[in-house]
Amino acid sequence: MKKLICVLMIITLSLGIISCGKTSQTKDDVSIDKWEDVLSKAKGTTVNFYGWGGDQLLNGWIDNHLSKKLKEKYDITLNRVGMNIDEILSKLLNEKQLNVKDGSIDIVWINGENFFTARENELLYGPFSDKLPNFKKYIDKDDVETKFDFGFPVEGYESPYGKAQFVMIYDKMKTQAVPKDHKELMEFAKNNPGKFTYPAPPDFTGSAFVRNIIYDIVGHEQFMDMKADEDTVRKAIQPAIDYLKELKPYLWKKGETYPAESTLLDNMYGDNEVLMTMSYAPNFAASKIKTGEFTESTRTFVFDKGTIGNTNFLAIPFNSPNKEGALAVINYILSVDMQASKYEPKHGGGQPVLDSDKLNEKEKKKFEKVRSSIGDAALSQEELLDHRLPEMPANLIPIIEKIWMESIPNK
Amino acid sequence: MKYKYKLKPYILLTPVMIVILGIFVTGIVMGFLQSIGYFPIVGLKDFTLKYYKEVMMSKDFLSSLIFSIYISFISSALSVILGVALAYLIYRKKEKKGVEDIVFKVPIIVPHIVAVLLVYNLLSQSGIISRIFYSLGFVSSQNHFPSLLFEKNGIGIIITYLWKEIPFIGMVVYSVLNNMNNKFSDVAKTLGANRRQVFFKVTLPLIMPSIVTSFILVFAFSFGAFEVPFLLGPTNPKALPVKAYIEYSNPDLKHRPYTMVINMILTFVSLILVWGYNKAFKVISKYNR
Repeated sequence: MKKLICVLMIITLSLGIISCGKTSQTKDDVSIDKWEDVLSKAKGTTVNFYGWGGDQLLNGWIDNHLSKKLKEKYDITLNRVGMNIDEILSKLLNEKQLNVKDGSIDIVWINGENFFTARENELLYGPFSDKLPNFKKYIDKDDVETKFDFGFPVEGYESPYGKAQFVMIYDKMKTQAVPKDHKELMEFAKNNPGKFTYPAPPDFTGSAFVRNIIYDIVGHEQFMDMKADEDTVRKAIQPAIDYLKELKPYLWKKGETYPAESTLLDNMYGDNEVLMTMSYAPNFAASKIKTGEFTESTRTFVFDKGTIGNTNFLAIPFNSPNKEGALAVINYILSVDMQASKYEPKHGGGQPVLDSDKLNEKEKKKFEKVRSSIGDAALSQEELLDHRLPEMPANLIPIIEKIWMESIPNK
Repeated sequence: MKYKYKLKPYILLTPVMIVILGIFVTGIVMGFLQSIGYFPIVGLKDFTLKYYKEVMMSKDFLSSLIFSIYISFISSALSVILGVALAYLIYRKKEKKGVEDIVFKVPIIVPHIVAVLLVYNLLSQSGIISRIFYSLGFVSSQNHFPSLLFEKNGIGIIITYLWKEIPFIGMVVYSVLNNMNNKFSDVAKTLGANRRQVFFKVTLPLIMPSIVTSFILVFAFSFGAFEVPFLLGPTNPKALPVKAYIEYSNPDLKHRPYTMVINMILTFVSLILVWGYNKAFKVISKYNR
């Protein structure tokens, strides 16, 4: 008898394992036309927010500030999950393959080539952004940076989250004159051998550095409608590849190896192993001074011809189990209060995405107050916008990274 | 009746087998299908061996494979030699059960990623040792401290693995030594063998099978591990798992078969090692009979 019970238990257990995960049900599509309905459905729910979790300050803003306010205002629990975007995409793709109707991700922080991939494989829910009240109120719908993400049309499948721009970071006590363009950067590297390097693509920052060098040498216009074909790209960027080859012997460890991640380069800068670091977040240096990791005399600069800037976005996966909650959260992130608090250096200093022409005086004051607290380490908003270049189409980037990998560290 | 007893172990194993077969084998099968070009969700539907051909013909892949084998072999071989020496020293020590037993086990429970941090803090050009050398005047600037990390010989990776694996092998061999029949060495001693002869002619052959199995384990682990070579390795050549990861993170999903080819090769090498492990294990059980 005992044995029989034992066997039965084992069988039930096994069945339990087999059957789990098959309980998903199809949900009715959400209607976003009546915003009150969305909010009332979102009340009391949990929203799972997936995205890159490598920025402690931004994580802190989501975990402590944003989620506290969401709970107070809408009774929504926000659950942040730090995960690299390629893993998120794989997860979504697997869920799509297995036909999982109720996934586990409600909001995903996405940008560029990953958005392109997600759209191409129909992993996103939408269009939704132009139905959000705050999007209608504060966002410049005709701005190229709202309409396109790395040259790829957004079509309402993403809502802006923050603006970023590539900047280089140095210590003004150690470096008197900063390079204004690629030629002066070469001089700088030759005068300070072993004291400059950049993260190896496909690291995000390193890849952006390589594109900036390409822009500085051959201009950015030709890439905007270039065919994603290896030979075409190779021909177009050849002068920049030659430049990087010439630069190589003057780099850290003679360019035989590169930091695998931009955080490693930041550490090396903090430890005084190199003289410069770089970031895709313009207020990054200011935040790092606040945390004591960078010296007080740290400053940022951009090339005269400008550096690449982009907008990063939030999207909703096709199988999000709580689309109303996701919409409510994304809408709230586009509010003046949240954009202004995200802009504070202690929260990572992410550039706001709201159109300043659409703000009233009181709202403008809020942003000005934050701006004045950032300090000298960051460039002003005007200077950044004056030196802002568009990102190239997303599908060219893997090709450039491949060419870099074949022609720079190998040779 | 007989039937029942034969079936019983399989029935008892069903729950765990479902998990293993369901997750592990499905993963491998999916990976294999993708490696031969079957990935219908992104529109790849033709079975082809072209990805295998392309990967295996590429110089990049070969240098990665050689780099991975080189790191794993050097670190495992050194770990075995030093680990056995460590175990023997502790075993020989008369008054033991002291601190050394605990101390040498500590690295085993420390995760690899923490070991990487430790090695980075100690050995990088701005690390602790470099700073000490600089302040003592041994090197004229921190940049002249020998570059041990991120270089083509994989010294940083090997040091990290040694720190983790010497104690592991030490522990395995130590417990075998402790359970070993002492009569053989006593007999050898009464017949006039000196300590060295006892070690090489009696003890070493007896612990050899466990040395071989732990070598295979450690080799297989370092061959397939990602974080240490990713964080401490050179940009080129990359260890195979790092290469697989970078191919995997390519946002173009049509690129996925290349990743899966590399993963299949990693799996294949691991299978060979499992086979070797089994062989070695059979030898051990023969000895213990």
